[in-house]
Amino acid sequence: MTKTNYLIETRGLTRRFGSQLAVDDLDLHVPAAGVYGFLGPNGAGKTTAIRMLLGLIRPNDGEVRLFGQSLTGNHQSLMRRVGALVESPSLYPHLTGRENLEVTRRLLGADRNLIELALATVKLTKDADRRVREYSLGMRQRLGLALALLNQPELLILDEPTNGLDPAGIHEMRDLISRLPEEFGVTVFLSSHLLGEVEQIATHIGIINEGHLLFQGTLGELQSKQQTLLTVGVKQVDAATEFLANSGWSVERSIDDLLNISTKTPDDAARINKLLVDRGLEVFHLAMSQRSLEDIFLSLTNGAGRSG
Amino acid sequence: MSLARALHAELLKLKRTLAFRVVFVLPLLIALLQFLVILRTKTYARGFNLWQTHPTNSFQIWAVFMMPLLIALVTALLNGIEHSDKQWKHLFALPVPRYAMYFAKLILAQGLILTSTLVLAVSTAIVGVAGTYLRPELANAGPVPYVWLAKHAALVWLASWLIIAIHTWISMRWSGFPIALGAGIGGTFFALFAAGASLGKYYPWLLPMNIFIEGRFATALLLGIGGGIVAALLGCFEFTRRDVM
Repeated sequence: MTKTNYLIETRGLTRRFGSQLAVDDLDLHVPAAGVYGFLGPNGAGKTTAIRMLLGLIRPNDGEVRLFGQSLTGNHQSLMRRVGALVESPSLYPHLTGRENLEVTRRLLGADRNLIELALATVKLTKDADRRVREYSLGMRQRLGLALALLNQPELLILDEPTNGLDPAGIHEMRDLISRLPEEFGVTVFLSSHLLGEVEQIATHIGIINEGHLLFQGTLGELQSKQQTLLTVGVKQVDAATEFLANSGWSVERSIDDLLNISTKTPDDAARINKLLVDRGLEVFHLAMSQRSLEDIFLSLTNGAGRSG
Repeated sequence: MSLARALHAELLKLKRTLAFRVVFVLPLLIALLQFLVILRTKTYARGFNLWQTHPTNSFQIWAVFMMPLLIALVTALLNGIEHSDKQWKHLFALPVPRYAMYFAKLILAQGLILTSTLVLAVSTAIVGVAGTYLRPELANAGPVPYVWLAKHAALVWLASWLIIAIHTWISMRWSGFPIALGAGIGGTFFALFAAGASLGKYYPWLLPMNIFIEGRFATALLLGIGGGIVAALLGCFEFTRRDVM
């Protein structure tokens, strides 16, 4: 893939808040078409990165490029091609849903019929003339999405769009987002702290933790990282942990004193068993299992991406 | 073009807001007060001309007290709707220059204060005419001083530009309603003490009142307009460089 195919490209993007490094040397490569899931636990730096992508805050270092052009000096022309929903939707509660869209339409100088199109896309036509203060959280979120879609953007940036929604609302929003690339040809850049929420719709994944990008690639590439997990029970658990770690195996000790070891092939199980027995350590349990994407995400983020 | 679009959007945001209502309510309160004073005054001296005192009284109450408070209230309400749901992040991610958003807010605030001052002028005229009908001893007051009313409405409004610019910036900079309103109350309160001091000539919250004080007129007008423009440009400079959290 050539660089010009990236809709979003950041180079060494860095932002500090006082002494705290919120985003560190971030190199994002978001290709055109599809859904890019930007994953990370709360406080990982996702929102700070998104705010820099939209020009809401300035980086201390590095560059943001959208559609192959630098954001610096081209903010307005680039934002004409971008729609965004950052955290909770920004709405005027005293106005109706339609009037909220009209405010943004006036600012954009956009065509009037785009309002009806945006309302229909998010299924709010029926409630468009109710005041927003009467809207449910899910309706507000959908109106926020309609605002982002109003100018028919090529790139849609959504920051935690399902935050605070009930399961039905999450399902509805996820369904809506997954339809956008195919129906409107829009590329979606979607942040979330839950892998389960994006793995069903994302074609590409970026994982960030403590400001660092830990993984970036297709969902298939992330899945190829799926490893077999060998669980071993040994009587001399301290000695076994030290011995295996010194032998180069990645060992995690569980709370019930079993050892979890990442392996690549079933032969590894036999090899580890032989190593332990030859060492005089008494093995009483051996079991193999597949690590899920969630496990990989948790392991990459040191468990901080746990949903709760 | 961007500014015209931003102003068009601002007008829609005004719908059903308190900001739009107070613009009419506050000057009408002064008119009501003046109406009661005219009615309740026991006797008028022979040859008393209502138009020589009534418009000046109304405008001075307006300039020293109601207008600065109205400016604080209107700017706080206009910008409060942007802070409540963190609208700035949505607005700043749109392809609209920030200066256009800033000046749209400022111009709308100026427009509302001008409207309110004109409501005062019109209601002052109506109350005066009503007074001449209800109190026969005031019947020889002569024609309504339309030119005086229009001229002073314009002058008081021009002298208020600096206060409008200061309050626009404060209410955009800080999200809390108490900060914006506190600045207005504080500014107006200290104006009572500054009025007699020589430096009161330059005190922003006294400039509209200074239009009526001999020796302070030119400073009030120049500082009101010039200071208003400079403060607006400085506020805009800060606004366009702000990080939106």
